Amino acid sequence: MKELRRPRGRTPSVRQGRRGRGRRPHLAAWEVRAGCWDKTPHVGVVQRFRELLRSLALSVLGALTTRLVKPGLTPSADGLKQCLSEFKRQLAWVERLDVTLGPVTDVPDLASNSTSDKDAVDPENDFQREMSFYRQAQAAVLEALPRLHKLQVPTRRPDDYFAEMAKSDQQMQKIRQKLKSKQEAMEKSEKAKQLRALRKYGKKVQTEILQKRQKEKKSMLNAVKKYQKGLSDKLDFLDEEQTSSQGNKKGSGSQRIKRGPNAKRRYKNQKFGFGGKKKGSKWNTKESFNDVSSFRAKVAHNKGPGKAGKKALNKRPGKRARQKMKSRAR
Amino acid sequence: MAAAKRKRGAAAARPKKRAKGDPSAPEPAAKPGPDGTSPEEYSIPAPVSQGKWKNKERVLIFSSRGINFRTRHLMQDLRTLMPHSKADTKMDRKDKLFIINEVCEIKNCNKCIFFEAKKKQDLYMWLSNTPHGPSAKFLVQNIHTLAELKMTGNCLRGSRPLLSFDPTFDQEPHYALLKELFIQIFSTPQYHPKSQPFVDHVFTFTITDKRIWFRNYQIIEEDASLVEIGPRFVLNLIKIFQGSFGGPTLYENPFYQSPNMHRRLIRLSMAAKFREKQQVKEVQKIKKKETKKLIEDDLTETVFETPAEEKLMEVQLAKPEPKATVKDKRKPRKIQRKRQKKLFRIEA
Repeated sequence: MKELRRPRGRTPSVRQGRRGRGRRPHLAAWEVRAGCWDKTPHVGVVQRFRELLRSLALSVLGALTTRLVKPGLTPSADGLKQCLSEFKRQLAWVERLDVTLGPVTDVPDLASNSTSDKDAVDPENDFQREMSFYRQAQAAVLEALPRLHKLQVPTRRPDDYFAEMAKSDQQMQKIRQKLKSKQEAMEKSEKAKQLRALRKYGKKVQTEILQKRQKEKKSMLNAVKKYQKGLSDKLDFLDEEQTSSQGNKKGSGSQRIKRGPNAKRRYKNQKFGFGGKKKGSKWNTKESFNDVSSFRAKVAHNKGPGKAGKKALNKRPGKRARQKMKSRAR
Repeated sequence: MAAAKRKRGAAAARPKKRAKGDPSAPEPAAKPGPDGTSPEEYSIPAPVSQGKWKNKERVLIFSSRGINFRTRHLMQDLRTLMPHSKADTKMDRKDKLFIINEVCEIKNCNKCIFFEAKKKQDLYMWLSNTPHGPSAKFLVQNIHTLAELKMTGNCLRGSRPLLSFDPTFDQEPHYALLKELFIQIFSTPQYHPKSQPFVDHVFTFTITDKRIWFRNYQIIEEDASLVEIGPRFVLNLIKIFQGSFGGPTLYENPFYQSPNMHRRLIRLSMAAKFREKQQVKEVQKIKKKETKKLIEDDLTETVFETPAEEKLMEVQLAKPEPKATVKDKRKPRKIQRKRQKKLFRIEA
């Protein structure tokens, strides 16, 4: 207890008692007493002189003095170096197994941030930081393994060498379970995504098919209706499915005549023919409401010169007349 | 023993847990097998007891009272990884630190790792060379233990580690001293009776952000593919002392901020924000209550003003004239066209 309380440097004899000359065999006893090896303030002529000089400088120069000592390094780096030199043990490398190397630099990454300069690593960027540690370990391993092999120190454990591990088997099982569950979860989510995408595509295809079918049905019904109303006496619509496929294949001149009006005419017929477009024809838009261009004042007030058959044609024939027309056409 | 014999023929990659005992015991049994069969790249090494254990380093790892579960696990992990360590009971906080030197002497240890917990929040770690040597105090942060499931590596219990240091350790004298301390404490002596002769994991010490980061990796392949084993922690150097757990200060870290100070600063900044808001509000109140200054009309401002011309209000009384439409005589009128079509239809 007492020994430990006493500050070092006052009683070198204590230390000498343990190991002969003590830990400073290169220094004489008076040097030890004078405290050349120790930088504590209360011992040492050299130290005292230094302090005097320092205080003098400070007092003379006043506020203009720059600090002679770096902040944080009190009393000086020499103390540290001295301590290190005492403390250091000269051991063979195989005992210590230490390697001091910077991280391995990635060749493809040269342009970006991987430089040998440590300041480039942003400590806040977790991934970058951990990668730099990893690469440092890699560099150390790459350097040390050949050396170990030369010294015949094994680094690879044989497959039948069984010994206790740092983590128990139970722990490793838990880890494996966790990894497996993570992978399974990922796979499940991938599968779900794919299913969803497939379903969407399937739905799209289905709606397209349904629409096509409805269109066909509608056109078929229209054609049947037209035939029924006597507006067209061709029964082509029944054979349409069969002939259209054949017609496409042949494409000769005679077939061309059968096709009738060209595409533009057919489009206009479809849009405006046979009474015009049925769907959306009853929209009362602002334009249609405000459009008074089809207003003939004289016709409306029955004052204009009547053309032959005009009245009969302008006015829509009555029900009987229309039915007659129909039956007549059939 | 029997288990080992059974499995010798099979090429099982997974290690089997054996009863705790002398790890060198099965080696002579396993030795004749692989050696006799075929010459491999590696062979069972000589049992540890055949080498002479010269480097007598013993590390005492223990803590004070008031530590939490994470610290306790970290301590246990360090004891697992370092076969040259010894454990001791918790030290009462009332005792002064130099008592630790006595404890170490009793246990015949020459190094010490001492964990000290304050306020049940902050963990401090002392690394010391016990009789006379230097010691260092660190603040430990970001502790992750061996038991964390994200660390998937594993190593032999008691195998010798490779130590990897940052080049920054050689540049500053205090870091050089710390490096020597780390080497002496963490490296397992060769031929230690509890050690395994393999070198299969590496400790890394890196200096980033003025702190020392510790990582432990398992060496899987010879081409340096690594997996982390754990534990991992960050050391923030506080001071280096010349004596063990006391003595004159050799170095004091200027970048160190005590956790109390850190918490205090956070609290102050929050308070400062609030106070600033209050002050702004008060200033606004005062401004509102002030008598407002009446600005007189400046005659020179109206010099360039020219009044706009007055527009006459037009009231529409007559109907606007109809637009003159240009008819295309060639195109028959709509009604005529319709009539023609109908005729055509009927006649067809």
